[in-house]
Amino acid sequence: MIAQVVLNGFITGMIIALPAIALTLTYGILKFPNFAIGAMLTAGAYLAFICNSILQLPLLLSAAIAAVGLAATVVIVDRLVFSPLRERTTITLLVASMGVSFVLENMARFAFGNSARSFEAPIVRSMHIMGLRINFEQIVTAATALAGMLAVYVILRHTPLGRAMRAVADNPALAAVRGIDRERIVRWMWVIVGVLTAAAGVLAGLDRAIDPLLGWNYVVTVFAAAILGGLGNPLGAVLGALTLGVVEETSTLVIPPNYRQVVSFFAIAILLLLRPQGLLGTVRVKK
Amino acid sequence: MTAYLVTILILVCIAIILGLALNLQWGLCGMVNFGMAGFFALGAYAAALVALSGAGTLAGIVVAALICAATCGATALVSLRLSDEYLAILTLGFGEVIRLVTLSESWLTGGSLGLPGIPRPLWGWVSEQNYELLFLALLVVVVLALFLVLEVLIRSPFGRAVRAVREDDTVASTLGKNVTMLRVKAFAVGGAIIGIAGAFHAYYLTYVDPSQFSAIITAYTFMAVIAGGRGSNKGLLFGAATIMCLIEGSRFLKDIVQVLDATQLASIRLILIGLGLILFLIYRPQGFLLEYRLRSSSLLARSSLNGATRMHDFKQEAS
Repeated sequence: MIAQVVLNGFITGMIIALPAIALTLTYGILKFPNFAIGAMLTAGAYLAFICNSILQLPLLLSAAIAAVGLAATVVIVDRLVFSPLRERTTITLLVASMGVSFVLENMARFAFGNSARSFEAPIVRSMHIMGLRINFEQIVTAATALAGMLAVYVILRHTPLGRAMRAVADNPALAAVRGIDRERIVRWMWVIVGVLTAAAGVLAGLDRAIDPLLGWNYVVTVFAAAILGGLGNPLGAVLGALTLGVVEETSTLVIPPNYRQVVSFFAIAILLLLRPQGLLGTVRVKK
Repeated sequence: MTAYLVTILILVCIAIILGLALNLQWGLCGMVNFGMAGFFALGAYAAALVALSGAGTLAGIVVAALICAATCGATALVSLRLSDEYLAILTLGFGEVIRLVTLSESWLTGGSLGLPGIPRPLWGWVSEQNYELLFLALLVVVVLALFLVLEVLIRSPFGRAVRAVREDDTVASTLGKNVTMLRVKAFAVGGAIIGIAGAFHAYYLTYVDPSQFSAIITAYTFMAVIAGGRGSNKGLLFGAATIMCLIEGSRFLKDIVQVLDATQLASIRLILIGLGLILFLIYRPQGFLLEYRLRSSSLLARSSLNGATRMHDFKQEAS
C-alpha cells in the first residue's frame, strides 16, 4: 500500500518536475516568477487535444505538434509582453505574467467551455510488478519526464547554448561583455519552457481530465517545487518536485485528496521560515 | 431600473473597498497580493458565520476585519526575509487554501451550496423596498470613511516610511526604519479592509458560496488599481467604478450577441482584463492619476506660512 502510494507520488512528481524546471529556468535568466506557467500548461494540453481529438492524429504526434505550437506561442508572448517590460521591476513582470495567465486560460475557456475533455488514448491493461500496479500512462509519464530532464541537463551542461544560458543567469552584464546575445538566449529559453510545459500539459491531461483550470491546479505545487529546490536551480526543481509529489500522495492517506495543494502551500510556508534559500539554493536572503 | 442602478453602485462600492486595500498593499507598499479572492472569501465567510450565530452584523464586520488582518499579517511575516515574489506565491497559495476549505468543509461553510440566510445590517429600519438604498448609503459612508483614513495614512509619517520601503528598503532600513514591521503592518491593514469588503459582500447577497470568489475578483481589483494609478486613491475611485460598470454593463451584451453563451462572455471579459493589465503595464504604468508626492516646494511653503502658496502647492500635489 505504502509502496504503491510512493510510486504514484513519484509519477506525480515527474509531471510537476517539467514545469518546475521551466519556471526555475525563467527565474534564473529573466529574474521573475512566471505566474502564467499554469495557463501555459493548460494551453499545451488544449493544443494537443485539438490535434488528437479533433484532427484525429495519434497522441504522440499531437504532443509533438503541441510542443512546437506552445514554444512558438510563448516566444510570441515574450516578444509582445515580457520583452517591452524587460528592464522594469520584478513586481511589474510578475503582475504582467498574471495578465498573460488570464488571457491564455480564458482563450481555452472561450474555445472549449468549462467541461472536462480527455485524450483519445488506447486503453492498455496495467501491469503488476512485485505487487505494485503500474499503468501504461505512468510508464509514458516517467519516460517522457526523464527524457525531458535529461535533454535539459545535456543542453545546460554540454552545449554552447547551455553555457551561454548559465552565463546570462549568473551575470548578465559579464555575459553581455563576452558577446553573448541575451535576447537570443532568452528566445531559446522560452522554446525550452514551451516544450517542457506542453509535455507536462499532455501528461497532466492523461492523468486528469483536460479543463481550463488544469494548469491552475498545478501552479502552487509547481512553485512550491521550484522554491523547495531554490529558485533558479534546475536540479533542485526536480528534487523538489519529486519530494512534493511523494509528500502530496502520501498525505492523501491521512487527509482528503482535494487538500493536496494545501500540503504544498504549507511546505512553502514552513520552508521559507526555516530555510529561505531552498534545499539546494544559495543564500539570497534580503538584508 | 433604479433598483439595477442601486445594485451596480453597491457592487462598485465593494469593488472600491477592495481596490483601496490593494492600493495600500501593492500601490503604496509594492507588496503583491494574488490572494485577493481568498482573503475576500475569508472575510465574507467570517462575517456570515458570526452574523448567522446571532452575534450581530457589526460584530461580523469586526471579526472579518480582524481575521483577514491577522492572516494577511502572518502571510507577510512568513515571507519577510525574502523578496516580494515569495509573498506573491504565498498569497496565491493561501487563496487556494481558502477556496478548498470553503468547498470541502461542509460542516462549517456549507460546501458548494454555501451559507444562505445571512442577516443584513440595519434591517427593519426602513421598508423592504427602500432597504437597498439604505444599504448603499451605509456603504458610501464606509467607503468615504476608509478613503479619508487611508488618505491621512498615506500622508502620515507611516505612509512616507512605507513608500520609502517600497522604493528602496535598504535605504529605509539604513535610516532606522523597521522594514519588517512596516511591511507586516501595512499588509495587515490592507487585509482588514479586504475583510470589511467581504463582510459587506456577504450581507448584500445574504448568501455566500465558493463560486462567488473566483480569480476574476483578483483580476478586476488589480485592473482597477493599475488603471487608476498605483498609489492614487482618487484615481482608484474612477478605476474601480469604470471597471465595475464595464463588467456589469457587459452582461447586457448577452441579450444582443446571442451567438456567445455565458461562459464565453465571462471568458472574453477576463481576456480583456488580462490584456488591459498588460497594456497598462507597458504603456501607462503610472495609470490615469499620479500618486501623491510630498514636494520640497510644498514643505517650504508650509514653513513660510503663506496661505496662498500653500493652497497652490496643495492643489499641485493633488493633481
